[in-house]
Amino acid sequence: MMQKYLSCLLIPLLFLSCKQGEESITGIQYITECRQMAAFIQSTGFDKKRSAFSTSERRTKGLALVEFPLSAQMQKRIYQHPSWKMAGGLGPIVITEDGSVYVAPIPIVNVFENKPEQQNTIYKVDPVSGEMNIFIELPRAKQPSPENPYGILGLAYDCETGILFASTVSGSTRTGEVGRIYSIRVKDKAKIIDQIDNIDAMGLELVYFNEKKSLFFGEARRSNIFSVNVNEDGKFKSKPVFQLNLTGFGPRGDDKARKLRFDKSGNLVVFGVEFNYNLIAPSEKQETMYSFQYNVTSQKWEKLNKSPVMGVEE
Amino acid sequence: MKKLNFSLLLVLLTACFSCNENNTAEKPAENDDAKSAYLLNDTASINLPEITAYLEKVKTTLQQPMPVLLFQDSSDQMMKDAETICLSNADFTKYLRDSISKNAFRNEIFNIYKARESDFNKTTRGFCTDGSCYKVELYNFALNLTTVGLVNVKSKQILQVTHVPNTQPEIPQHLKTIAIHIAAANTDVQKALGFKPGEKDAVMSATKTSLNRSRCERSLHLCVAPTFVKGEKALWTIVDLTELKVAGLRWTNVGSAGPESAVTLRKIENETITECFCKNELNLERNGWKMNYMITSSDGLRISNVQYNSKPIVSSAKLVDWHVSYSDTEGFGYSDAIGCPYFSTAAVIAVEPPEISDLIEDGKKIGFVLVQNFSSERWPQPCNYKYQQRYEFFNDGSFRVAVANLGRGCGNDGTYRPVIRIAFAGGSQTFDEWNGTAWNNWTAEKWQLQQANTSYTKEGYLFKISGQNGMNYYIEPGRGQFKDGGRGDRAYTYITINKPGTDEGETDLVTIGPCCNADYRQGPEKFIEPTPESLSGRSLVMWYVPVVRNDDTKGNEYCWADSYVKNGVYSTRSYPCFSGPMFIPVK
Repeated sequence: MMQKYLSCLLIPLLFLSCKQGEESITGIQYITECRQMAAFIQSTGFDKKRSAFSTSERRTKGLALVEFPLSAQMQKRIYQHPSWKMAGGLGPIVITEDGSVYVAPIPIVNVFENKPEQQNTIYKVDPVSGEMNIFIELPRAKQPSPENPYGILGLAYDCETGILFASTVSGSTRTGEVGRIYSIRVKDKAKIIDQIDNIDAMGLELVYFNEKKSLFFGEARRSNIFSVNVNEDGKFKSKPVFQLNLTGFGPRGDDKARKLRFDKSGNLVVFGVEFNYNLIAPSEKQETMYSFQYNVTSQKWEKLNKSPVMGVEE
Repeated sequence: MKKLNFSLLLVLLTACFSCNENNTAEKPAENDDAKSAYLLNDTASINLPEITAYLEKVKTTLQQPMPVLLFQDSSDQMMKDAETICLSNADFTKYLRDSISKNAFRNEIFNIYKARESDFNKTTRGFCTDGSCYKVELYNFALNLTTVGLVNVKSKQILQVTHVPNTQPEIPQHLKTIAIHIAAANTDVQKALGFKPGEKDAVMSATKTSLNRSRCERSLHLCVAPTFVKGEKALWTIVDLTELKVAGLRWTNVGSAGPESAVTLRKIENETITECFCKNELNLERNGWKMNYMITSSDGLRISNVQYNSKPIVSSAKLVDWHVSYSDTEGFGYSDAIGCPYFSTAAVIAVEPPEISDLIEDGKKIGFVLVQNFSSERWPQPCNYKYQQRYEFFNDGSFRVAVANLGRGCGNDGTYRPVIRIAFAGGSQTFDEWNGTAWNNWTAEKWQLQQANTSYTKEGYLFKISGQNGMNYYIEPGRGQFKDGGRGDRAYTYITINKPGTDEGETDLVTIGPCCNADYRQGPEKFIEPTPESLSGRSLVMWYVPVVRNDDTKGNEYCWADSYVKNGVYSTRSYPCFSGPMFIPVK
């Protein structure tokens, strides 16, 4: 069966304690997760300790809450609120400290239920009712064309400030890179705080890098990863700075960074995929995980895994 | 009625393709290097004496009980012992044959070298303190698999065996030499360079870096890139060492640090197709026919402004969607669009240029065919797809719009419904259906299903389209008579109005319908319902949606493909299911 590797996100609700960030001698200070279980999960009868949100369940459109079985003999259970299919195929997910779930659409194989003009919308699942509704429609530099079916490709949440970051390539064409990275206030009423123009980005992640809060992002057109400094009020305060390049790594050699994560040791984990702004859907999930460590002396990123792990899903 | 025998077809006219040579349309000069990319169908190198000798060794090896071509470069006794120990180990030799057919894979020992400190782990280090440990690298061409054995030659112990999928070891010297010879002997390389290169000109091919910096991502073949420098530019020659041929060429700027990224075959394929076929229409004139064609974002290869002997026939024709459903799982399937590899809504993309060939029957050229393939990356593996569009044009003014699924998909219970759109040229047409005794005029937009009890004229015609300026054609649906393996179309035919100012598919259509409707609701009906309009005096669009079921029954395969081992590597056997109507001029 075809798999949707751009949308393969599984956000576990396990280990949800709020901790302080951990210092590292690598120049990286990890920002601790703050996500909490949504209250409505209680009403589903699912065991919250072995449940997770997913946008990549086979033959299940939209968002799903998955309860993993206790043993191999049992089958996993899936819960879907009726509203969770409203946006067609979904991709990136973030969960906040009050249990709100923010998701964005991504077309899977075709655009039948993911019209290009609807791909720049972030949806929010209410933590109490479980109902999904439009949270914010992000403005775009240009109207989408048949050249590019994609909109939002990445989401990240700053647990310390309650600010949501989103990357979108909506309106970009082969000859025009007009994507944007937004910072968005989620408390009270959704409001765009700041934006970076003319960058097509995919994966996003926040971290303290050399003692400054930074948003790392993977370019959608190239195999580069950049960082940009971010103020506590969500304003971008520097120009993007090149960090590393994935070219030549892995089985394909031209992967783009679909997802970025920092582990508690300060290592940067990159989930790389083939991405050419089309809707090809390989039968085997062709995603490769690369790990990098920052060398504070040479100020360069060093690749940790000689043979990167293929097909790893979070 | 045209009955073509496929064994007589296809005198290939375009053995290789570069944008500069064949593309008559003017291109913006935004990427000159990309425009210089070539995709080659190189067959000449097979006659090089060193390749003949190498292939003979491979052939002999495949017949051996231990089908492994031994290390070809010079080696001492310790290295030979290391090789022997590894080849007597069951784990090291685990993947030498296909697990089902037991046919031998093409295997070769690529490297044997004294183990270095970095080759040891905590466990093995202690066994190698005497300096007698060697590392042996085996490459499996079929599986693109590297097997590494760590062996202590003195104690005759194998310490570790590792199988690393999708990994290629350092290329051995004799294959480096063959790669350079293949590149240097290639006439397209010589033409591009303007001279016949010697081995010394392949400046980068002798280094590890350059040989490892190319890939054939889709075929997963062993590929290297001998690179020839000419002035400020370097010509990358991608040599496929699995097939022993040149697969592609591309110029890059040399610069001080070399090219920004490696030149790989997929990059050349995508760039060539995008630059040459996705940006502008191309013109084709042949045998009295004249038309434009291009690969679209999501509607496959579109032909437009088709004329025969200066008479406008078809405004445009294309393939909007492939609806694929699997019957044992109701509602499960995909709507696949086909189109360009970069920036498109295509799920299955063009990975090779269109081909134009003569149509030959009984030794005579009776027309030509324009063919475009679209393929998933891993076809024919499960859930990967390959589709084909065939536009056939005959010297007598007949033409056929045919499509095919070339097999595999996600199961043996698949039903394919390609959505073909044909817009006729001219301001107005009439459309008639044969009712068994006479032609019955359609007065309003409607659809019809070709069924077992459908009546045809004695020639096999079902419909007739009549337009201005003598554009009058009978339409003959597929019933298995075209000798292309097709077993009948069972098609839905829709006639809609081509409305000026209302885009009902004239431009690129996004997905027109869901995967799995089993009735007439394949998408075109949305341009008919709820109130069909009168066809009187209007320009018409014909939508044709065949319904084709796949079959994997041995000996009866249809819309199916499988892999088999041939000469030690995997080859593909495809059982295409062709469908599509023939248009025959009314005399």
